[in-house]
Amino acid sequence: MEVVVDENELKSVGAQPLTDGRHGLRIHGWEIETRKRSILNSSTLQQWEQKLGTSHLPEMIFGESALILKHLNSGTSINFNAFDALAGWKQEGLPPVEVPAAAKWKFRSKPFQQVILDYDYTFTTPYCGSEPIKINAEDEIEAISKATGSLQWDDCEEHIDMAALAVKEPILFYDEIILYEDELADNGISLLTVKVRVMPSCWFLLLRFWLRVDGVLMRLRDTRMYCGFEDKKCPSILRESCWREATFKALAAKGYPFGASSYSDPSIISQRLPIVMHKTQKLVIPNNL
Amino acid sequence: MSDLDRQIEQLKRCEPLKESEVKALCLKAMEILVEESNVQRVDAPVTICGDIHGQFYDMKELFKVGGDCPKTNYLFLGDFVDRGFYSVETFLLLLALKVRYPDRITLIRGNHESRQITQVYGFYDECLRKYGSANVWRYCTDIFDYLSLSALIENKIFSVHGGLSPAISTLDQIRTIDRKQEVPHDGAMCDLLWSDPEDIVDGWGLSPRGAGFLFGGSVVTSFNHSNNVDYICRAHQLVMEGYKWMFNDQIVTVWSAPNYCYRCGNVAAILELDENLNKQFRVFDAAPQESRGTPAKKPAPDYFL
Repeated sequence: MEVVVDENELKSVGAQPLTDGRHGLRIHGWEIETRKRSILNSSTLQQWEQKLGTSHLPEMIFGESALILKHLNSGTSINFNAFDALAGWKQEGLPPVEVPAAAKWKFRSKPFQQVILDYDYTFTTPYCGSEPIKINAEDEIEAISKATGSLQWDDCEEHIDMAALAVKEPILFYDEIILYEDELADNGISLLTVKVRVMPSCWFLLLRFWLRVDGVLMRLRDTRMYCGFEDKKCPSILRESCWREATFKALAAKGYPFGASSYSDPSIISQRLPIVMHKTQKLVIPNNL
Repeated sequence: MSDLDRQIEQLKRCEPLKESEVKALCLKAMEILVEESNVQRVDAPVTICGDIHGQFYDMKELFKVGGDCPKTNYLFLGDFVDRGFYSVETFLLLLALKVRYPDRITLIRGNHESRQITQVYGFYDECLRKYGSANVWRYCTDIFDYLSLSALIENKIFSVHGGLSPAISTLDQIRTIDRKQEVPHDGAMCDLLWSDPEDIVDGWGLSPRGAGFLFGGSVVTSFNHSNNVDYICRAHQLVMEGYKWMFNDQIVTVWSAPNYCYRCGNVAAILELDENLNKQFRVFDAAPQESRGTPAKKPAPDYFL
């Protein structure tokens, strides 16, 4: 499914690649950029722990990786970054999930002076993107959005037209960014990624939190955003969030396999997980912000 | 050239052995490993290596930095398999070196050297893909049961994959474990392969998962003191800088899989100890893209929905 798009083809649809070594493109008044960097080093990790008020963070945080979508005329900007996602995790603060071995451990003789840690090690987050107010900073990621939710998203009945997205328009730009990942000490996976694709008629992205605690539960929190280029005067973005969750037990009761190895790819099994939350919202890009 | 030397040369080119050769190699390895102690004695000089996780071409970088076996004496702290693309070649090369030079390379068991874990994290699938049956996986996982649980360098440095256990206060208690089994879900053997040091507890901590111990500085101090060791050397946790000291240099984590999972961008390290136990960390990067058979970095566009 390799789609090769050269510069001439970009030009013919009114797009141009970003310069200065930046990865992404400009199209119909949007600038769409991805950044992929290494995991945080120990000293930055420590700073994050302090800022977030925790001593436990995912073992792989791609803290300087991001997806940034800017509407140049209005200054509207949406981005996806690990820091804000983890701030969301900290705030939601779900209770920990016990792994299957925990049942046995309850009968182990306890060491003298045992502390039981009780943070949410699954790093489940309600995060659905950041919307920093533009302070004329060159780099929004540095001026990390203290003011998320500054844009006016309204609940709506419209849905993202998946059938239209299934049409194989050429992909002008595609990227996939991992924001954080944890192997849950080999008890499964916790993974937050964002994928983006830009076509001649629209951009579309999927932010996905995927959790599998082996033998216990699976949790999928998807946020999709769609923006068509047809309405140039008054562009709008549709945002659809869909959260799914199921225990291994419930799946096994329905006759699905129990082994964790059957559940490595969330996109294949998502339909098996019942929906626990769904909402669609619309953002009309303000004309002059 | 003996069959074994030929096999080592073949494996160094990242070409897997035939199934029958794997079977014979595992049988020979078993005879050697069964004689080893749960606390295997290791002489200095020695070079200590942490997790490899099937990153064969990065292990070749490791040997470039640390020198070839048998010229260099090696201690590998487990987690040879899973996650990377070449668990089969990685483990078989280490095992072949073990059979060829038993006194120049020591392999101890990591938590991934287990039937259960390898079925989830890649080694099992890789064996099926490369051999069309689970036989090679079965030979290898049978060998895993024979791997030693820890090593003691010149009676001064205790080495283990994960960490300490509240059920263990002396090395003799480790020596009495019957290790020839699948890694259990609890108990001393499980802890040695799974537990982690933790800054925010002083004594023992229980993971929020409800299974898995964390141990603090005072636990390490008292273990080192009662067993008359200088420090503990362990692996098991990814460290961006390749190694990390904790608790006033009483324990060090060594991580030897650079650019872990081909995407983390971390460096790796090995710890070289000379005959006087002087330490030198050697830090190294992942093998360059063109020297390995991994997929290119750029993801293929995908009509995701």
